[in-house]
Amino acid sequence: MKFWIIRLASIAIAVFGCIGLQVLANHQTDYMQRLLVLSGLYVTLAVSLNLINGITGQFSIGHAAFYQVGAYLGGYLSVCFFRSSGLPPLVWLVVTMIAGAIGAAIAGLVVGLPSLRLKGDYLAIVTLGFGEIIRIQVQNTPALGGSYGMNVNPKVQSVAIVWLLAILCIAICRNLLKTASGLPFLAVREDEVASSAMGVNVTGAKVTAFVLGSAFAGAAGALLASFEGFITPGTFAMDVSFIILTMVVLGGTGSITGSVVAAIFLTLLPEYLRGLKAPSGGPLMLTGGTVMGWMIAVVVTVAILRYVYSDGGRSRLNRLMFACGGLVAGAIVQIVASIALNKIGKFHDKQIVIDQLRMVIFAVTLIVLMLLRPQGVFAHHEFSWNLLAKLFGKKKEVSA
Amino acid sequence: MSLLKLDQATIKFGGLIAVNAVSFELNKGDLFGLIGPNGAGKTTCFNIITGVYKPTSGIIEFNGRSIGGTPSNKIASLGIARTFQNIRLFKALSVLENVVVGGYLRHNTGLFSALAYLPNSIAETNRLKADAMELLKVVNLQHVADVRSADLSYGMQRRLEIARAMATQPELLLLDEPAAGMNPLEKEELLVMVKKIRDHHGMTVLLIEHDMRFVMNLCERIVVLDHGEEIAQGPPSAIRNDPKVIAAYLGEAV
Repeated sequence: MKFWIIRLASIAIAVFGCIGLQVLANHQTDYMQRLLVLSGLYVTLAVSLNLINGITGQFSIGHAAFYQVGAYLGGYLSVCFFRSSGLPPLVWLVVTMIAGAIGAAIAGLVVGLPSLRLKGDYLAIVTLGFGEIIRIQVQNTPALGGSYGMNVNPKVQSVAIVWLLAILCIAICRNLLKTASGLPFLAVREDEVASSAMGVNVTGAKVTAFVLGSAFAGAAGALLASFEGFITPGTFAMDVSFIILTMVVLGGTGSITGSVVAAIFLTLLPEYLRGLKAPSGGPLMLTGGTVMGWMIAVVVTVAILRYVYSDGGRSRLNRLMFACGGLVAGAIVQIVASIALNKIGKFHDKQIVIDQLRMVIFAVTLIVLMLLRPQGVFAHHEFSWNLLAKLFGKKKEVSA
Repeated sequence: MSLLKLDQATIKFGGLIAVNAVSFELNKGDLFGLIGPNGAGKTTCFNIITGVYKPTSGIIEFNGRSIGGTPSNKIASLGIARTFQNIRLFKALSVLENVVVGGYLRHNTGLFSALAYLPNSIAETNRLKADAMELLKVVNLQHVADVRSADLSYGMQRRLEIARAMATQPELLLLDEPAAGMNPLEKEELLVMVKKIRDHHGMTVLLIEHDMRFVMNLCERIVVLDHGEEIAQGPPSAIRNDPKVIAAYLGEAV
């Protein structure tokens, strides 16, 4: 009884939370709504890829393909059948989402069944190839608009449904890891021979994870199609797959919390940098000297931090102090180097708008994080109320 | 009727005959030893029985059913569990979780109820964990249940492998060099433990071991392999004095 009350309460919190988000978003600009939707979609994509890559240990780098299958299937169904169906737009959105999920799941099954029987990096090669095949096939199919893209009618924009899908995806992965049914997936990641000897159907576990992950990507795709109202094959190019993979690796392979945080962070970081303004209100300009100063400072700081953390013999406090010292040293280097370099006329006169640098900053952030914490920000850890209580120094056990 | 029967089991890798026409039978409740010098084909024999390799020819029967070439996971569900010579634990998982993976074979809730986190799935998980804890007590690892399995000592890892194999509730337990890397004291404990597994848990045990004292004290019947061929079979007293066995292990007198 208590179980069902908690269950209903958490579902209600999720639903009302999403509706609340929708209400908030309605008062925001289109741009903010778009960011909200994109981060929701990327959370779904990253968490579902984490199920394949992190939890089951199958290196798939073609997640955008399933995203695309869902998007085009959802879009095509909308174009052909929305009018005759007579359903309200929001219901129709859910229908296309489910259709996209099923379509992508079937695609996942077709790709996964043969390639998941192989060991090693073959899956990576097959998924990479599949991603390109789908994109080029769509590009050359006039019925789907070819490379011009396809208009999707009706254009239904719902922040709430996007985030409900994200929460559903998180919940399902978390449930899997909380019960014994998730252990075979982890066992396959750890050792295929041993898990097979323990009675785990290795291919079955891999295909299940792959199909489930693909289905969520497909659902996200269908939502993207109806949100944008227009999709082109270019939206699903290979770099989208790599961005999703980056999110999973950066957050810590296997950690759902990590995937969620990394997905939101990496979606918003380039956009935040795009919007940076100088105090005067114009676009933020940097002189060439300052930019180079930053670069030198980052290299110095990373070198110091790596040196500090590679020495396992230090105590925690000692390491923390040295790390702080490294940051201070980096800041000093930045200031000194910038001033010195800006004395050189050539560097001082060269003005760079921050907008041009945002992808560079994005890349540098990734490199720095990977150098300092190769296991990902959250490594294998998950968010839990107990952990939160521990962090804030409370000794009391909190039941999750 | 015999529990496991190998009849002329043979496997070739290209020109190499790793196991050549080996035949032996295990009865229910046996403590059976498989010995031989390095490269004799003992582990390959295990790999044929557990479906890692498909035998080139010959018959392998378990409970009267031919199992040659059946996939490993099917064989595990039929009731044969094994440990590995080069320990193969699920390193990132905790000790308890390792054992639960073994027990998961005997679960009966579907994936859907796990994904929806339904009460029967939670109850099943708790039941599997409780069962796993009981098995950890058998191998004396209950105090490290929450430790990452990679952080255990060598001897403990070997014991954990045994517990994990036992969790699949097998009729036949195959132990591949269970005493390797253990100190004399740990070996004594293992000896008692394996006997207990047979007597209290009703599992038939087939084991590979290099420590002669261990095998001679523990096993009731022994098969000796050399270069993939069976050279002797019988109780320890007969094996100890068999001239062929002595020749294989110590070399022939010139």
